[in-house]
Amino acid sequence: MLRLRNLRCYYGKIRAINGVSLSVRAGEIIALIGANGAGKSTLLQALCGLIPRWEGEMLFERESLKGLKPQDIVKRGMCLVPEGRLLFPPMSVIENLRLGAYLRYRRGENEAVREDLETVMELFPILRERARQPAGTLSGGEQQMVAIARALMARPRLLLLDEPTMGLAPFLVKMILDTLAQLKERGITVLLVEQNARAALQIADRGYVLENGRIVLEGPAEDLLADQDVKRAYLGRDYREFCEGRA
Amino acid sequence: MPIRNPAVECLDLEERTQQQLERLQSTLNRACKNVPFYRNQFAENRIDPLQIENLSDLTHVPFTHRSHFSEHYPYGLFAVPLRDVVRIHTAQGSSINPVVSGYTKQDLAVWHEMVARALVAASVSGLDILQIHLDVGLTNWGREYKDGAEAIESSVIPLTILPPEKQLMILKDYRTSVLVTTGSAAAELVHLLFQSNLNPNALALKTLILVGEAPNRDMARQLEERLHVRTWFHYGLSEVPGPALAFECDERSGLHLSEDHFLAEVIDPDSGVPVKEGEVGELVLTTLTTRAFPLIRYRTGDKVRLMDGSCGCGRTFRRMEWLRERTDEAVVIRGVKIHHQQVRTFLHRILGHEPERCRFRVRETRRRDYLEVWLGVDDLIFSDEIKEMEQTSLRLGSELATELGVPVRIQFREPGSFKPELSTDRIEDLREDHGAA
Repeated sequence: MLRLRNLRCYYGKIRAINGVSLSVRAGEIIALIGANGAGKSTLLQALCGLIPRWEGEMLFERESLKGLKPQDIVKRGMCLVPEGRLLFPPMSVIENLRLGAYLRYRRGENEAVREDLETVMELFPILRERARQPAGTLSGGEQQMVAIARALMARPRLLLLDEPTMGLAPFLVKMILDTLAQLKERGITVLLVEQNARAALQIADRGYVLENGRIVLEGPAEDLLADQDVKRAYLGRDYREFCEGRA
Repeated sequence: MPIRNPAVECLDLEERTQQQLERLQSTLNRACKNVPFYRNQFAENRIDPLQIENLSDLTHVPFTHRSHFSEHYPYGLFAVPLRDVVRIHTAQGSSINPVVSGYTKQDLAVWHEMVARALVAASVSGLDILQIHLDVGLTNWGREYKDGAEAIESSVIPLTILPPEKQLMILKDYRTSVLVTTGSAAAELVHLLFQSNLNPNALALKTLILVGEAPNRDMARQLEERLHVRTWFHYGLSEVPGPALAFECDERSGLHLSEDHFLAEVIDPDSGVPVKEGEVGELVLTTLTTRAFPLIRYRTGDKVRLMDGSCGCGRTFRRMEWLRERTDEAVVIRGVKIHHQQVRTFLHRILGHEPERCRFRVRETRRRDYLEVWLGVDDLIFSDEIKEMEQTSLRLGSELATELGVPVRIQFREPGSFKPELSTDRIEDLREDHGAA
């Protein structure tokens, strides 16, 4: 579905992504993990057309993303849930969701959009209760649900998520990740960038480890979960052993 | 015929290329980061892994030779800290230092899966009783076959170093249905079987997995006819405990290389340049998933021909024809590669001095291959007691056999009885069939 080859992304003269090759097959959940500054978010932004200067090859459903604007990429079926949610705080939940379907309204898909609103409300029942409430007054977890639901309103085939569990309580983390697993069952492919590497790998099929803009490890998620390097760097094993040892 | 994991083994070729590129790039990044040898190799040749944008770009990367293992003995080529290594294997090197390879838990799982897939391709299943009969030099492979066969729930009779007579007894009494062995050891068992007036029909054996020696179709046909079995060849590297890197399928048109874990190139052994598609050359392997002991462009010394095109079995792994000639001076004795330099080095160490004149030959007696070492008797070896000379010969043979992992016989000769030009710079192969049974 998505194929990257030798992707290099630049912020001015600084190269943030160093020759990344990566692929996402239809129906998979792919976890992209790595430390702060490894280039994970940059990669997602490049996919969405938000990084103007990049080299290499990005193919979505066999077609190049070269020269496409963000709205063209959304039209093609790829949608981003950005880090920090980026909702419109004064607008109600329902208005935020409708904005997710902006391009579809313009195509006259009003009826289909109404159906999809129902679907996302079923997926996140709390949003029905909060439908008229300004999005800025919602809790962090609820806002994240709105952000995901808003992206789903564009009917993406590939959903990109940037740190969807950041700052959330553990039970909300679980809920959000369970939702992603449900989306997979509904046929939506997911590329997930997460600091919470353990949680991400637990629901993922495969994973990539990004370090200084390069992929240093890839493989089935269960392999990465068991990998000692990954444990030390991203799963906090040593820290836990240290704490448990002292306890 | 069954395929253990069709999603992997029959993967679309375009996806396989992408998968190999992703794995190659992450392997190069990791090797450069964690292994000083590779980092220096890249730096000396002014290569950044970033420059490897296609699989064909790998030709810019320098080769890894067998001698590098010895130079970085024991752990110099490991890419993970020792605490992540759960198994350490030793194999024959090209010099006195052996090859030491390490494996993480995931590495072992990969090897077991590769062995399991190769066994399934040979129709081995959980209903089989699988016996492993390999010489001491291939002990590491014995472990991998045990684990791989257990993964598909076969009943395994693990490798035990027993005389052929005992192996034959187990083969008959335990109703072994699958035997993993070398071609030469299989031929030896057949010889013994008929010598003992045992009827092959009294055996439950139906499958012979032949490892360590390049396919010899005449020998395989003879074994099949005499034992009423089906033979399957597996290719592996003795330097790393990797049996079944490539395996035969039911079509018998070459060995499928596990390209999800290895990238194969074929080069001209003299120039190092890749040969044209379908031409014969030396097999060069790069690991794609190995964590602890990555190998980048390792020159195997094995002569092969890669075959493109689809296989009737449905697998998309490329096939290779494994030829019996080698590109180096090593000879294969019962699955173990032996270099003349190695024999000289060990002889020097055991004797305590460089022998004045010696000659190395591979021979066979009663279908059993062995290394014969002619030693010119110099003043340091000479004794006027025959008994003492006999003991020295036996001791030398035994110590050399332990070091090399193959049977050795020492013959003391008058130094003037053989010409110096016949000595030491090669191992003569006097077997009727050069390494075959």
